[in-house]
Amino acid sequence: MSDAHHGFNLREWIFTTDHKRIGILYLIGALSAFAIAGTFAIMIRMQQYGPGMQVFDSGSGYNTALYFHGAAMILVFLIPALTGFFANYFLPLMIGAKDVAFPRINAFSVWLFYAAIILALVSLVIPDPPDVMWTGYPPYSVTTEGNTAFYVFTVHLLGFSSILGAINFLVTVIYMRAPGMGWNQLNMFVWTILAAFILQLIFIPVLASAVTMLLFDKYLGTHFFDPAMGGDVLLYQNLFWFYSHPAVYVILLPAIGILFDVIATMGKNRIFNYKVCVYAGIGGVLALAGEVWIHHLYVAGVPDWIRVGMMITTLLISVPIGLMLMSLWGTLYKASITFNVAMHYASACLFLLLIGGLTGIPLAMTVMTANLGQTSFVHAHFHFVMALFSTFAIISGIYYWFPKMTGRLAEGKLAVVAFWFNIIGVNITFWPLFIIGVQGMPRRYFSYEQFPQFAPYHHVATYGSFLVALGMVLTLINWIKSAFWGVKSEANPWHSKSLEWTHTPNPPGPGNFPHDVTVSADWTPYDYVK
Amino acid sequence: MRLLKKLGLAVLLMGALALPVWAYEGAPGLATGDLTPARRWDILWDHVLVDLWVIGVIFGLAALYMLIKYKAKNPTDVGTATKLNKAQAVAWALIPVAVFVADDFYLAAQGWTLWGIYRRVPENALEIKAIGHQWYWEFDYGNGVVTQELKVPQGRPIVLRMHSEDVVHDFSLPKFRVKEDVMPGRITYVWFMPDTVMDTIVTCTMYCGVAHSQMYGKVSVVPPEQYTSWLESAVKAAADQQTTKVKG
Amino acid sequence: MTAHSTTAHGTPIEHQGHGHHWETSIAPFAVVFGVFFLLPLTFSMHFVYHNTILTAVFAGIGLPLILFGVAKWIDEGLTQKPLVAGLAGVGMPIFIVSEIFIFLSFFATYWMVRLSTYSWPPEHTPEMPVLLPLFMTFLLITSSVTVHIAEEKLEHGDLAAFRKWLVITVLFGLAFLSCTTFEYHHLLEHDFLPSTNAFSMIFFSITGFHASHVFLGLSIFIAILLPALGGRVNKTFVLCGSIYWHFVDVVWIFVVSQIYFW
Ligand code: HEA
Ligand code: HEA
Ligand code: CUA
Ligand SMILES: [Cu+2]
Repeated sequence: MSDAHHGFNLREWIFTTDHKRIGILYLIGALSAFAIAGTFAIMIRMQQYGPGMQVFDSGSGYNTALYFHGAAMILVFLIPALTGFFANYFLPLMIGAKDVAFPRINAFSVWLFYAAIILALVSLVIPDPPDVMWTGYPPYSVTTEGNTAFYVFTVHLLGFSSILGAINFLVTVIYMRAPGMGWNQLNMFVWTILAAFILQLIFIPVLASAVTMLLFDKYLGTHFFDPAMGGDVLLYQNLFWFYSHPAVYVILLPAIGILFDVIATMGKNRIFNYKVCVYAGIGGVLALAGEVWIHHLYVAGVPDWIRVGMMITTLLISVPIGLMLMSLWGTLYKASITFNVAMHYASACLFLLLIGGLTGIPLAMTVMTANLGQTSFVHAHFHFVMALFSTFAIISGIYYWFPKMTGRLAEGKLAVVAFWFNIIGVNITFWPLFIIGVQGMPRRYFSYEQFPQFAPYHHVATYGSFLVALGMVLTLINWIKSAFWGVKSEANPWHSKSLEWTHTPNPPGPGNFPHDVTVSADWTPYDYVK
Repeated sequence: MRLLKKLGLAVLLMGALALPVWAYEGAPGLATGDLTPARRWDILWDHVLVDLWVIGVIFGLAALYMLIKYKAKNPTDVGTATKLNKAQAVAWALIPVAVFVADDFYLAAQGWTLWGIYRRVPENALEIKAIGHQWYWEFDYGNGVVTQELKVPQGRPIVLRMHSEDVVHDFSLPKFRVKEDVMPGRITYVWFMPDTVMDTIVTCTMYCGVAHSQMYGKVSVVPPEQYTSWLESAVKAAADQQTTKVKG
Repeated sequence: MTAHSTTAHGTPIEHQGHGHHWETSIAPFAVVFGVFFLLPLTFSMHFVYHNTILTAVFAGIGLPLILFGVAKWIDEGLTQKPLVAGLAGVGMPIFIVSEIFIFLSFFATYWMVRLSTYSWPPEHTPEMPVLLPLFMTFLLITSSVTVHIAEEKLEHGDLAAFRKWLVITVLFGLAFLSCTTFEYHHLLEHDFLPSTNAFSMIFFSITGFHASHVFLGLSIFIAILLPALGGRVNKTFVLCGSIYWHFVDVVWIFVVSQIYFW
């Protein structure tokens, strides 16, 4: 890792405004959050192994662990990994830009993200840690002894970071594409991340104002959520989900985008029905994302007409997502697939997405939620689509672009063994949760002596989580090992046609491209088939 | 020949677009009769499961097949898919859309029907008040009887009018497939049909603090006569208590 | 993970066209941690932990950091060339989309609260002023005009006139904020606090949030003005400032019509 001209220079990393280095900073932060929140997940699983106290000595310890697990996984791992790391490192390279539109604002975003991580970590060691779960519902979050302020500020810092990121990348894609690059020549990843940023830009402010009201209620004595004084408890839930449902597509879309890039490249195939996928698929998700949030409030006592209306819109989301799936599946058709590690994960992702997405369908039906809502069925649903599908897509993307970032390959036996631990482990962990969910196992229970019959399922799930933990630790070891001592990669190991592989060295230096990039009208990043 | 192709495509598309309409019309609702909502829930759940398994298996097998079939024979090979022409592109959009929309409408119609039943409280329902506290449930039968165990007579629909004294809770009766949030400032309701004599539990499924998972109570369905006699004695006990309180 | 700057074939980066070194800037880092100290930490120390000393210490660390960072940032903005010029003029409207949704959330809250009660305004609400908001509207609209004139002057290269009109704009803005302060003072004296009732919480959060925007707009203008005194102006920066100011102006119209005259 040494460099002839100047070796590792900490100052140049901390104060960097280069999108690739900022990307790496995002990756380090996000993976650290994943490791810590994942460690908490294992403790959660050990606690749920049987009814009664197992590893925590009180419910409050468990609640803080679960708060941190949920909030950190979604807000500090998944969203920053996708819209921070992948967007930063690869989007400018894919569109042939030398950097993003506002490099300093980009540096501003990444340090806001780190400030949020610091705050989240500090919140674990203070006397009354936050215990409001990642949803932070009042009145509980207002009346609790826990430090809700740190939850609110973590959300503020991350939210502001994301909004600035959204502006930066929207402007970058609109104005800084290589000369000649039309909208229908963009990588699928660029399209999906663009859509994700549009969602972030519009919906984050709503979340920000919701948690701000929470802060005012708790610390300034206002009554936004206090019905006795003219406030409304459901107001918070509406505002919260108005953001947090679209947020799941902020996670889903870029993950699908990564999958498209990996599958098309490793299958040496064109994207099936590109325009329909982009304009109807991604566009449809964008159009519907903001009209379905009530499906998180199906049993919250909202008026019946809105429960039924949003049942229909929620079900209809399966249509644009289904179109994206048609393209994803179609891209396999008549492909010529080489199975590197990235492609292993990508293949697994197809099934995880199906399982996770389809189990959203009963949850989308208002009446089904009368039994399934707030049970571990919901856990299993979103772990499949988010914790497994999106996380595996991230792992796939890291393997795929590993040579780009380090100049070395991360392939090998260790990677494949870790893959099998992961994929087998997650299925053992989360299928039992579907089963007991249907039978009524509630969420967020640190103990369940009223449901002793579920203990055997929890045993299985806990053992499964150990396999995942092993797989994840091996994966991490493999990455660190390969980054420093891995086999040197050739310039374009997967023979891709995309600009980030064809026009820059591994890793790219300052300014990205040795020569200015222009593309011709018939070029596409998936131009394999003769 | 080209005209024929176009015509064929047009017919196909129209057929596809008719699908949602058919699905909606064809949604049978659920078999009527004396089924309890919980039983209907189970039937609908089976329908939904079949639906999802069919979709899942089709997509899953297709993926599996292609992943195996199109494995590269030779590292330098490239894929051979051709670019779709306009008609193909449109057909590959509209036909799946129609099928998906059809399925969604089918599920929506089924769900809507049952939801209607869930929300329409039968006229002869027995009304009881349920109150959520951190961390226990209280049931108010009117006439002074307040308990922490829900006792209901078999064979009569029960409707619970619910609110919370502190934070948001969720009244969940897994046995009867119902749940609804309980919160300060609003009154919500659920109804269910206790058709057999049994003991079961109500539990809280909305995170409400440190003892959230301990917030459960006994629910017993008893024969009507037993219920009446229990209520009578409970009313008397409550009245007695009231008088001792007044005296003391 | 790597500070590598050679190609796969080991060619040093120096031979490769554009960009010979890694760009750095200390400004964003300084501002972020300034904000980190000034907002979350200072707020928590005061409102959560009631610790006066730490409140002062954290504010004392945060504020200078922010000022230093902003000054540095502006200096770099005036001396270094961006990759593509003028993009900030697009970035600002996109940012405003976001801002609109924050205001919308608060207004939606207001509508929801107001429309679900029988009597409005709720108890303990003093008589709201009528003339003052009209006067404030006048101030803000005029300042929108003056900043527009300033921009025109800059367009024609008349730096002195630009400075003059910008100063006038700032004065109008300051007058607006003085009115807000006056009004708040008056209301607080009548025991109308954010915690008083449903109207007070909405009144103070919406007008306060708007006032903070006026304050930010003024800060931008001052950040333009100071270097402009030395003859250094960046037209894109001016454009951004004025777009923002017009936005703040438009929002005020909604605030006045919804809060004071409905
Ligand atoms: C990446 C994250 C992600 C994604 C993509 C989704 C996708 C979906 N989710 Fe999920 N969901 C979460 C993350 C996610 N969800 C989380 C975190 C929660 C819990 C939050 C909390 O309370 O803490 C949650 C909770 C949740 C609920 C609330 C449950 C409850 O609390 O009671 C509901 C209810 O409708 C729901 C529905 C759906 C639906 C319909 C989709 C759809 O978008 C899925 C669409 C995809 C498919 C359907 C599969 C592919 C399509 C086809 C194969 C075409 C053919 C199919 C048909 C015609 C049906 N989700
Ligand atoms: C991206 C999102 C994400 C991810 C990846 C995960 C991953 C996992 N989750 Fe999590 N989970 C959520 C998001 C996620 N989860 C959310 C949003 C909730 C809801 C919270 C709420 O209700 O509010 C939830 C809730 C939740 C529960 C519910 C608890 C309850 O309701 O009481 C459970 C229980 O089984 C669980 C388990 C797991 C497990 C076993 C994993 C495993 O897959 C984790 C595997 C990862 C690791 C094991 C880390 C690997 C470790 C290293 C690489 C380094 C090693 C480090 C050291 C040795 C220090 N999760
Ligand atoms: Cu009450 Cu959970
Ligand atoms: Cu949702």
